[in-house]
Amino acid sequence: MDFLVRAVRSKAVVWTIIVLPGLWPIWPLAVEHDPSRLADPLKYILHHLGFVACLLLVTVLTFSPLRVLWPKSKIVQALNRHRRLVGVSAAVYASLHFCTHLIYEGGTDVSALPSILRTAVRKPFQLTGLIALTILLVLAVTSLRVAIRWLGGRRWKNLHRLAYVAAALVAYHQAAARKIFPKQVLWIFIPLIVLEVARLIKSRKTSVAAREG
Amino acid sequence: MKQVAASLLGAAFVPGLARAATAGFPAKTNAAFAGAGLKPTAYDLITSYNNFYEFGTGKSDPKPNAADWKTEPWTVEIGGLCRKPMKVDVNDLITKVGGIEQRVYRMRCVEAWSMVIPWDGFPLAKLIALADPLATAKYVKFTTVYDPKHIAGQNESTLDWPYVEGLRMDEANNELTFIATGIYGKPIPNQNGAPLRLVTPWKYGFKGAKSLVKIEFVAKQPRNTWNVMAPDEYGFYANVNPEVDHPRWSQASERVIGAGGIFGARQRTLLFNGYAKEVAGLYRGMDLTKYF
Repeated sequence: MDFLVRAVRSKAVVWTIIVLPGLWPIWPLAVEHDPSRLADPLKYILHHLGFVACLLLVTVLTFSPLRVLWPKSKIVQALNRHRRLVGVSAAVYASLHFCTHLIYEGGTDVSALPSILRTAVRKPFQLTGLIALTILLVLAVTSLRVAIRWLGGRRWKNLHRLAYVAAALVAYHQAAARKIFPKQVLWIFIPLIVLEVARLIKSRKTSVAAREG
Repeated sequence: MKQVAASLLGAAFVPGLARAATAGFPAKTNAAFAGAGLKPTAYDLITSYNNFYEFGTGKSDPKPNAADWKTEPWTVEIGGLCRKPMKVDVNDLITKVGGIEQRVYRMRCVEAWSMVIPWDGFPLAKLIALADPLATAKYVKFTTVYDPKHIAGQNESTLDWPYVEGLRMDEANNELTFIATGIYGKPIPNQNGAPLRLVTPWKYGFKGAKSLVKIEFVAKQPRNTWNVMAPDEYGFYANVNPEVDHPRWSQASERVIGAGGIFGARQRTLLFNGYAKEVAGLYRGMDLTKYF
């Protein structure tokens, strides 16, 4: 147990967990030479980066409810040390995903950018991704301590509640990415929803007890 | 070329790779459809990158999941509003229509990627002539196999099984419309729709129903499966058209599968996938945006 706590506390471990998924596509593309992925390598990378960004966003959103539900757990406390790191990496992966989309659609032709962006704004599937990315970038930039001081605790907290909006947009964006509804959206978001509901129930009980106590 | 030879040798040595519809090989190229100026996609990619949801919804799923699926012997039923209905073995059918030929066609998926595929097979028009449809037959309805016992994906309601597609009679009789029984001079692999696959190169690939068991002449326009699934996204005609977007993405350009290295290659999409000369006449006066 102690080893696990130390591992979760370690920045090196968390960095590794964050960076490795980014390198994952190298295996089927460069080592296995999997034709089903080599057929359209950037598409595979595009989907993969989006998937990792989504997982990181959902992961960081579990830290708060976990802390409310198990405040004494050393592992949960260790996780909460990494909120900024995991949150910002979600924004980084989302940015890489978007850059891949730009290259996927336009190659190195910069003159294609306006029409790519125009299409993105016109199609709800793509627009939700754009808005979610914007939110994540704003949150990443304001995750610096100087920003917290500049905004003030309450305004910062409210701003960062936008992470939930981003999560909802990402759920839609991911659900709309394939011709049919991908079940992975369910197994990614249902655990988070369950945690949030449990947290709300516990918070309500605690505040009622506090008022009556 | 070496790649094709290697996979041909592989097919000879590995048991269980025999496919139905082996009649008619090797096929001669039809000079009218030799694909001048087109660069055929590698066999490896054509047979590894597939949409065949009966065998899984990932592009890499159909090849391994359909590997042990038995597609021989195979009977196809031709019927409905016609004078000479028949239930016939696939190889007998090929003999009846006079053998097969090779044609190189562009293939454009609705997902905005494309390939160039050297198909072996015969024009659907020959099959239609054999069946001798009645005047009341306005459409041809194609039905894919339904066998949840041996096709795992059909136990889930991913799509409304069995997969159904349809063509207007004049589309079905068009010189381009093809029934494929092979790719690159070899019997068509399971993941590409063995043993009989419909090919309509001027339409999005989902019109090309795979593994056909029934070809019927009907009076009413059939409800094709993707149109049932998402009527605002997939129509009946599904003609390739850069001016008519999919609700979620643009159709103005397409990824060329297998080209361009790691960054890939993209090209502008052509109206009717470049086959306007052969098919534009079918749609004269039709609103292509309304009837997508």
